[in-house]
Amino acid sequence: MMKLDAKIPSGPLESKWDRHRFSERLVSPNNKRKLTVIVVGTGLAGASAASTLGQLGYHVECFCFHDSPRRAHSIAAQGGINAAKNYQDDGDSVGRLFYDTIKGGDFRSREANVYRLAQVSTQIIDQCVALGIPFAREYGGQLANRSFGGVQVSRTFYCRGQTGQQLLLGAYSALCWQIERGQVTMHPRTELLDLILVDGHARGIVARDLVTGRISAHMANAVVLATGGYSNVYYLSTNASGCNVTATYRAWKHGAAFANPCFTQIHPTAIPPGDAHQAKLTLMSESLRNDGRLWVPKVPSDQRSPGDIPPIERDYFLERRYPRFGNLAPRDIASRAVKVVCDEGYGVGPGGQGVYLDFSDVIDQQGLEVVRERYGNLFDMYHRITGEDAYQVPMRIYPAPHYTMGGLWVDYNLMSTIPGLFVIGEANFADHGANRLGASSLMQGLADGYFILPYTIGHYLATATLPPIPDDHAEAREAIQRVTMRINRLLTVKGRRTAAMFHRELGTLLWNHCGMSRNEGGLASALRSIPKLREEFWHDVMVPGSGSAFNQELEYAGRVADYLEFAELLCHDALHRLESCGAHFREEYQTEDGEPRRDDAHFAYVAAWEYRDRAVPVLHKEPLTFEFVPPTRRSYQ
Amino acid sequence: MVIALTGLGLVVFVVFHMLGNLQLFEGPLALNRYAAVLRDMPILLWAVRIGLLSMAVFHIGLALQLSMQNRRARPLEYTIHRYRKASIASRTMAISGMALLLFVAFHLLHLTAGVIDPGFADRRDPEGNRDVYTKVVHAFQNPFVVILYLVGQLGLGLHLRHAIASSVQTMGFEHAGLNRLLKALGPVIGLIVVLGNVAIILAVFLGIVH
Amino acid sequence: MTFTLKIWRQNGPHERGRFVTYEAYDVSPGMSFLEMLDGINQRLIGTGEEPVAFEQDCREGICGSCSLVINGIPHGPDQGITTCQLYMRRFSDGASITIEPWRANAFPILKDLVVDRSALDRIMQAGGYISVNTGGAVDGNVLLIGKDQAETAMDAASCIGCGACVAACKNASAMLFVAAKVSHLATLPQGRPERARRVSAMLKAMDQEGFGSCGNQYECEAVCPKGISARFIANLNREYLRAGIVESGCPSEPESPHAESA
Repeated sequence: MMKLDAKIPSGPLESKWDRHRFSERLVSPNNKRKLTVIVVGTGLAGASAASTLGQLGYHVECFCFHDSPRRAHSIAAQGGINAAKNYQDDGDSVGRLFYDTIKGGDFRSREANVYRLAQVSTQIIDQCVALGIPFAREYGGQLANRSFGGVQVSRTFYCRGQTGQQLLLGAYSALCWQIERGQVTMHPRTELLDLILVDGHARGIVARDLVTGRISAHMANAVVLATGGYSNVYYLSTNASGCNVTATYRAWKHGAAFANPCFTQIHPTAIPPGDAHQAKLTLMSESLRNDGRLWVPKVPSDQRSPGDIPPIERDYFLERRYPRFGNLAPRDIASRAVKVVCDEGYGVGPGGQGVYLDFSDVIDQQGLEVVRERYGNLFDMYHRITGEDAYQVPMRIYPAPHYTMGGLWVDYNLMSTIPGLFVIGEANFADHGANRLGASSLMQGLADGYFILPYTIGHYLATATLPPIPDDHAEAREAIQRVTMRINRLLTVKGRRTAAMFHRELGTLLWNHCGMSRNEGGLASALRSIPKLREEFWHDVMVPGSGSAFNQELEYAGRVADYLEFAELLCHDALHRLESCGAHFREEYQTEDGEPRRDDAHFAYVAAWEYRDRAVPVLHKEPLTFEFVPPTRRSYQ
Repeated sequence: MVIALTGLGLVVFVVFHMLGNLQLFEGPLALNRYAAVLRDMPILLWAVRIGLLSMAVFHIGLALQLSMQNRRARPLEYTIHRYRKASIASRTMAISGMALLLFVAFHLLHLTAGVIDPGFADRRDPEGNRDVYTKVVHAFQNPFVVILYLVGQLGLGLHLRHAIASSVQTMGFEHAGLNRLLKALGPVIGLIVVLGNVAIILAVFLGIVH
Repeated sequence: MTFTLKIWRQNGPHERGRFVTYEAYDVSPGMSFLEMLDGINQRLIGTGEEPVAFEQDCREGICGSCSLVINGIPHGPDQGITTCQLYMRRFSDGASITIEPWRANAFPILKDLVVDRSALDRIMQAGGYISVNTGGAVDGNVLLIGKDQAETAMDAASCIGCGACVAACKNASAMLFVAAKVSHLATLPQGRPERARRVSAMLKAMDQEGFGSCGNQYECEAVCPKGISARFIANLNREYLRAGIVESGCPSEPESPHAESA
């Protein structure tokens, strides 16, 4: 029976982490050399963890499915990274960053974890500077900051619009150093397909070499998953097309609890989907909402061009519903408001999926040049994709799946319910609760990888009894067998439909029933449809080529097969959470004016799901207590 | 780096060679005197000749070695390859270099060693200097020689146009404020040298100098 | 819109490749180039044929996965973008489009349009980093770095490692890639202690990988989706010269087959 022990140190919030580190057992340098750690994924969390573990003296086997560790999707983060440096002297502090994150997460995250995150945030910036990351600077040479959604201080550090890229390349360079030193062995173009457990401990993985198709077992003393989020379950998302749930889902099937899968963040400002062939949604920076005004025509299905609609016939719906925050309402609120007006038939553009983001007022007041200077590159991007000139006609935007707060359940040490399986970055559920604030995912990934995991994994390795095991251990052979059979099964269906067709159908289903707003009927119907779709998949999917060669379609089909199972878990979680909080909006639980109604009395817990073979997953609850920040209603009206 | 340095050395020579030759316009005595002065310093003359020769050998040898290496770097060419920025001059460095080599060989045999046109080797001018002037004038009255020399100058011009700025880049000279000047250096020097030399050739051929 | 595509197909690194012609129908101007290829692949899979292998991931021009030489130009006819940011409205209806992989000795073809760019990773491993341990870093504001300096470093650091510079260079040289990294780190005070070792090691690694040398034609700069300037190559040459002087302890000419070819 699964038991959730978060292992949160007792005592005052401020000193929990320091005392915990002191009480942790260490591994002596000679012994570190004998220990191997597997790190899967080379995004911010994975690359920073692998390089730090290598530097500490462990032998690290690092895996990624890209051709190079530098391509992980962390690279696409635009805005910046938060840190409680208080360089601006505007009243920021560790405590305030902690408070903002807890409140932003709508009181569904652990206080101790979030406080630790805020504490190490300052170290991250120092570390990144030392690695040569070219953060924006003031003329005097000091680090520059910008403000970011939902907070009242300037604490975001940035490198133009490419902060994620620079932070990732920094972690990648640290990784390169350790590869050069021989501490890290890198396996690019290698995908994890299964986990190997020996005596209940995570001891290795089965991976497929994507070039040769060779399937092999890799054994270690501990396994770290840094495999990112699962937004791509919706088919269309802002994630890279390779992002997938396979690693975390496989771990779940081996007994790792999956926490809060229904907390999926939908970003309000993406370019709306164009036609059926579209493969990806492109994010437009949230900063556009600083100057742009969102509106729809007051008449449903208005076919007039936006310029012909006089101001009196426009509904500036965010300003109307949230007069205090207006167009700057937080992500979850804004996304939902857009969906509401579109569902009511006021949407614009193809299929009525879109609202106007209008800059004409700011252009009139401050001039075209000001707007061009601030957002020129974004307007160019919009023009390239849509062919429309946003200086002349308003942009059209629509929300898009962007980030997943849910993930594998981990304790304070970032270890899952499988001993020896650690989960870091977006792949775990830890710090963002039910909604993530801007510029905090980079912070969390690097905090986990550089500063938290390297400590906590040491304690595990120092205390666990882990006898040496050969690569051809019975469990390894069995796992290889399982993987091989599954691949053969995919290749032998030889049906008529492509994996993408199933993926698109699943995505549409989830978007409609488990997207921005959910209700019992929709979720129940999704739970009926998904098994049918999965059944069809295994009878009618077409995967050409062979398993023993480079075969991109085979990789993709395997990921889709996992989505088809994982989607059910997502819906179960959404169905059971009878409240609206953060990104999870249940239509049954809203106030009269359409605001979410949270239920702290019954749902102030982490929902951790346990896998059951051919049965409904079992729910375990980790209660959340708020000793330091009493929950309040999140109101932006 | 070595190619750049030797190349720049050769450029310096080409510039002075052109300047010296312009004395043609000052009449036979001046040019012959200049030639005599050069010949009166045999040690310096041979030192320069050996220097030039070794520079040329290094320049050409390394260039050949590099282009072979470069060819290996792309074993299979593109079916379609469109250039965006590369100038004609930069794309024809190998061809213009080859043309230049053939031309220099001909030029040396023709005017320096006098093998091709031996008739004037021993002529003396009134001052007793070797009559280089008449030899040159005679040479450039022949339309075939003129065409050959003009083609040679074209090769030289093309080669220099890319060579000078390229060498500067290879040696790492780069400065935000001076970049335009550095970029212009190649075409301007190349043009001056070519114009100077062409002036001599055409002046003789068109009978302005005789 | 409809297009005639001539696509390079090759089964493996040691197999012979050839062009295969495909027709693309029902292409809308708002489709991206990769979505157009997706369409072809969906059709091929439907008939049980192997789809055209090509690399892509983020589809927003930052991961550096996508490649493709389109009608003779890496990343296609537009400047300052990657292939994934290219849209079909850029082409005229009925046009014929030739698609080839990056071609370089250092980038062996794995399949169809997919090449192995790990040579770039090995160059980075040779020295493209600052050797600094995690933890114990001084406060970020202890090092004052002028805005201009930070901006120059950022200009160089925006390289996405796609390899278009190599693909465009007639010598398949990786000079712009190396120059970007070397210049980024040499511009910042944090990178200074290792600058001599770094530039020598990275250029040596570049040689060993079988890249060609720089002919100063600047095709690399012209196709770079991030607009990285060839000025950084001059900077790289300067760093190399400087390293030669520093390392040998006396002023001398370092020998490098790669820093040259005028």
